[in-house]
Amino acid sequence: MSPRPARDVLRRDDPLRRAVALLEVDRRRVLLAVLAGTAGLGSAVGLAAVSAWLIARASQMPPVMYLTIAAVSVRALGISRGVLRYVERLVSHDVALRGMATLRVRLYERLAAGDAGALVALRRGDLLARVGADVDSVGDVVVRGLLPVGVAATLGVGSVVLVGAFLPEAGLALALCLLLAGVVAPWWSVRATREAETRSAQARADMAATTLTLLDGAGELAVAGRTGQMLGHLRRADRDLADASDRAARPAAVSAALLPLAIGLAVLAALVLGIPATTAGRLAPVELAVVVLTPLAAFEAVSMLPAAGVQLLRSRQAARRITELLDAAGGEPSPAGGPVPRGGRGQAAGAPGTPEVDERPAADGARDAGPARPGAAAGTLVARGLACGWPGRAPVLRDLDLTVGPGRSVAIVGPSGVGKTTLLLTLAGVLPPVAGEVRAGGDPVHALTRSAAARRVALTTEDAHVFDTTLLENLRVGRGDVTPEEAAATLDAVGLRAWLDALPDGLETVLGADATRVSGGERRRVLLARALLGPAPVLLLDEPTEHVDAGAARVMTGLLDGSLTGGRGVVVVTHRVTGLEAADEVILLDRTGSVRARGRHRDLLGVDPDGVEDSDVRAAYRSAWTAQEQES
Amino acid sequence: MKPLDPRLLHRARAARLYVLLTAGLGILTAALVIAQALLLAAVLAPVVTGTARWDDVAPTVALLAAVVAVRALVSGAQERFAHRSATRATAELREQVVAHAVALGPRWLAREEGVGVATLATRGLDALEPYFVRYLPQLLLAVTVTPGALAVVLGLDWVAAATIAATIPLVPLFMVLIGRLTQGYAERRMTVMARLGHQVLDLLAGLPTLQTLGRERGPAARVRELGDAHRVATMGTLRVAFLSGMVLELLTTLSVALVAVGVGFRLVGGTLDLQTGLAVLVLAPEVYLPLRQVGAHFHASADGVAAAEQAFTLLETPAPGHGTRPAPDLRRTTVVLRDVCVAAPDRDVLAPAHLDLELAPGTTVALAGANGAGKSTAVSVLLGLLPPTDGTVTLVPAGTSEAAEAAEADRPDAPGEPGGPDGGALALADVDPATLWAQVAWVPQRPVLEPGTLRDAVAHGRTVGDEALGRAAQATGLDAVLAGLPQGWDTRIGQGGVGLSLGQRQRVALSRALVADAQLVVLDEPTAHLDADGEAVVLRTLAALAAQGRTVLLVAHRPALLACADTVVTVVAEPRGLDAAPDAPTVSEGVRP
Repeated sequence: MSPRPARDVLRRDDPLRRAVALLEVDRRRVLLAVLAGTAGLGSAVGLAAVSAWLIARASQMPPVMYLTIAAVSVRALGISRGVLRYVERLVSHDVALRGMATLRVRLYERLAAGDAGALVALRRGDLLARVGADVDSVGDVVVRGLLPVGVAATLGVGSVVLVGAFLPEAGLALALCLLLAGVVAPWWSVRATREAETRSAQARADMAATTLTLLDGAGELAVAGRTGQMLGHLRRADRDLADASDRAARPAAVSAALLPLAIGLAVLAALVLGIPATTAGRLAPVELAVVVLTPLAAFEAVSMLPAAGVQLLRSRQAARRITELLDAAGGEPSPAGGPVPRGGRGQAAGAPGTPEVDERPAADGARDAGPARPGAAAGTLVARGLACGWPGRAPVLRDLDLTVGPGRSVAIVGPSGVGKTTLLLTLAGVLPPVAGEVRAGGDPVHALTRSAAARRVALTTEDAHVFDTTLLENLRVGRGDVTPEEAAATLDAVGLRAWLDALPDGLETVLGADATRVSGGERRRVLLARALLGPAPVLLLDEPTEHVDAGAARVMTGLLDGSLTGGRGVVVVTHRVTGLEAADEVILLDRTGSVRARGRHRDLLGVDPDGVEDSDVRAAYRSAWTAQEQES
Repeated sequence: MKPLDPRLLHRARAARLYVLLTAGLGILTAALVIAQALLLAAVLAPVVTGTARWDDVAPTVALLAAVVAVRALVSGAQERFAHRSATRATAELREQVVAHAVALGPRWLAREEGVGVATLATRGLDALEPYFVRYLPQLLLAVTVTPGALAVVLGLDWVAAATIAATIPLVPLFMVLIGRLTQGYAERRMTVMARLGHQVLDLLAGLPTLQTLGRERGPAARVRELGDAHRVATMGTLRVAFLSGMVLELLTTLSVALVAVGVGFRLVGGTLDLQTGLAVLVLAPEVYLPLRQVGAHFHASADGVAAAEQAFTLLETPAPGHGTRPAPDLRRTTVVLRDVCVAAPDRDVLAPAHLDLELAPGTTVALAGANGAGKSTAVSVLLGLLPPTDGTVTLVPAGTSEAAEAAEADRPDAPGEPGGPDGGALALADVDPATLWAQVAWVPQRPVLEPGTLRDAVAHGRTVGDEALGRAAQATGLDAVLAGLPQGWDTRIGQGGVGLSLGQRQRVALSRALVADAQLVVLDEPTAHLDADGEAVVLRTLAALAAQGRTVLLVAHRPALLACADTVVTVVAEPRGLDAAPDAPTVSEGVRP
């Protein structure tokens, strides 16, 4: 990390540069903001210069009419400052907000067009959770970073020219002092911020973790007699934090001292250079007052630059996260921010208020194969010799053969963490197979566009999102034209009739941010209903009955015997073996990710003597089954 | 909001010194600002009027240079030390808040106001920094520089002073007026903005789901619309919000301009000399500067002040008191729960309802029952972490009759009844909980592991030999976890270390209970996060505990575990209000002579 963000910004591949390019700011508006800001703060400089002239000239007791123009301009400048600053703030915030809106759209488009597998991986991190704040931070750079720099630069040049016109050497001295306050001081400020962040990160994390431990484990720690010890730990973490900010305060103090020093030096230099010049007759006495007093007002613009430097640093960190997100998703951003290859503006056709999607098959050529090829078994999903895993990591599952078609259901059972979700993502075409192949309707599913693949195989992951909109719109995410009647019937089928009846606005009830108003079991069932309402002939369901306490077995049976799914192909992944009697095939995975056994539920239980021969397998399956039967 | 809350200084003692320092530097700054203006005028005026040359003013310029240097040093010192008041106040408040929240107990922490404590104690109180570092110094400058400079102007030129004095009250007046006018409007807008902003994030967060369903393309237009709506709503708010800034700037610059013009015309009239005029001109903006800065930093510090107020409210919530008598030796004491009911905080049920339980030394008692029946709550009551809504918990030393126990529980301070460790039964509420807890090892459902090494986590503050650790690890299956860790017992866990799964944490906690020298061991659903081998581990652990003669309270529902218990007590919940007289003293009635 270099301590000079301003220098790095000049590099073309700098993340801030790339992210700011995505804001697509209107240059004319930025120019207008800079002009208004310069004129506003220029009014203050003008006010100082003209009033210095006015007073010095007045002391020579000229006829009052010689002072009238100066007196009027002083009053006018007193008014224009506030008004122009108001204009500047409005224009600059408008630019920033427009930029943020554009950046959000670009980000959405790039992520939507990018690699789905990468995005699922990101969802597990907190990148997406932070993206809102990061977009704001990049937008802020316009108002709090770039604009103050522009205004300070223009105004600095203006002030130097004004003073230099009377006495060139005083202008030069002012220029040097402005650089001291406008470049050196911000450099120290940025250094202080960086110091504080690097040093305090660990201490802050320690402090937060200790606080949470104390609060979450309050009872346990009290009983164990460790509360006092943990409070001591908290005190130490806070002391480390204090030490870190104390060290960071040193460069900050340098920065804070430089501003009054620079102003003072500019005034002193004007006196030292101006007084002999006045005595020598090179500078009129009235002009000396202007040369000495103007610098007092000329530093207001540069005094904002330390904060602007810190903002550049912060925004740059946010921009780095955003560009990492874009790079990881695979959509290569063009610096001009032009339309992206897929999912661009032209194809957007959503109805307001809903995550609504166009139903038209996009004309993307061969990748978007539309309906299944004639001749290939429509509505079947076939995996051959499949190995799957996250790209760049060792495969978690190997050598899996699987066929699902209309009316056929498969349950995949295995301990948690064995890679069942990864398998579903691969079957859905979100992740590429590590080895082997997955064909949906005859075509390799990963090669299809997302919308084409989703018309053949629909995946509902465990962490599928419940949108902050009405229940009906949430169900329509799978298929846009779901009618209220269909929705109610499906909710009934998954056992949510009573819940639906109790909702204040029925299907029009807003479900709240990521369904916090919905219990875990209800959320699962809503997701299940969404999957069932979708158009795909094959459904992939990740733990569909987890948290569904009452009637979990009944729902599972309905999914597997086709009565809930209308005879569609179903792959269910679960770590519980309850309710699997109705599956056409149960695939039991062991801890290493290999198929340990497969067959019907009763074969695996050993009910059928011709079933699975390995008695260990039967014993393991039976013990898992009996344990869970007793629990439920 | 008060500009300076005295409770803040009262609670945060260590911050006082630095607040005083800040105030001292503020007064010094005021003196330097005034000195700078007067010296500048003294140098400039005679040269402009042609009565002095460089040699005449050189000593004054040197003095001015000294003032400039000291002013730079004071600014640096202010920045150098201002944050110390912030870090000290934050640390002190944080410790008080966390300690008090812990004292308020787990049930309070689970309530609505308790859930926010973690955020308050971490991010919330950190927001005090802008208050101490930016706002407070400016506030102190506003009460030193502003009146000081104004007083000097008054001494120099009363007309200018009157102009300034007339406009100063307009500053807060207009701020308040505009604030009043815009508040309702801004609040409505803020709600709209928050909602719009959230919807965009919601679409972004749901993008993976849209992708798996092949429906990711359409919402881009929606993101655009929401962004535009967000901008329009925000600009509406800002147009009003920036008005206060504009009025403030307008007032201050215009009055400086009026002072300058007034001084100019009095100079022409000969009623004022140039040196005074220049001094007034330089001082006039300095009067307003701190006021403007206070306004600018006011909003940034508001979050911190709000957090401090929240902290004070929390600290003023009285913590429940506790008993003072030492607990009897649990090796010879039976813990008895009679008719214990606890009202659930969020539901209209008693969970547990009318629970009777006897936990005799050396026995294993299991609590069974449906989810939500109050099994874990019963454990909290038994441990003295939660007072029961109704019913009694008593500690009955061996040899004490049930009658004496009940009488003691009913009238703890009854004359003639020998309460306490020398024989009589004791109500749990009268016992100093620390003396009870010293004899208890508790493995809750989600055990807490403090950051540290695995050895620290298992030994839990005691000195335990490697052999004992090894035996415990073998019983709980922690040895298999250890085998996978290159640093073994010295592996750091938690923050900055290896993350352990819930099952592994459970094994650590079980090992801890085994090595702990505690008579009463409480295991809350020990097999919840363990697979089939895990159950065997818990059975082994239970056998080991029973062999050591420990008393075990077990929350379980698997039959294999229940089979280990000497007694199985079924915990039930029931709706409230069924019981007509909830505090019917059934137990004490039975012993009335």
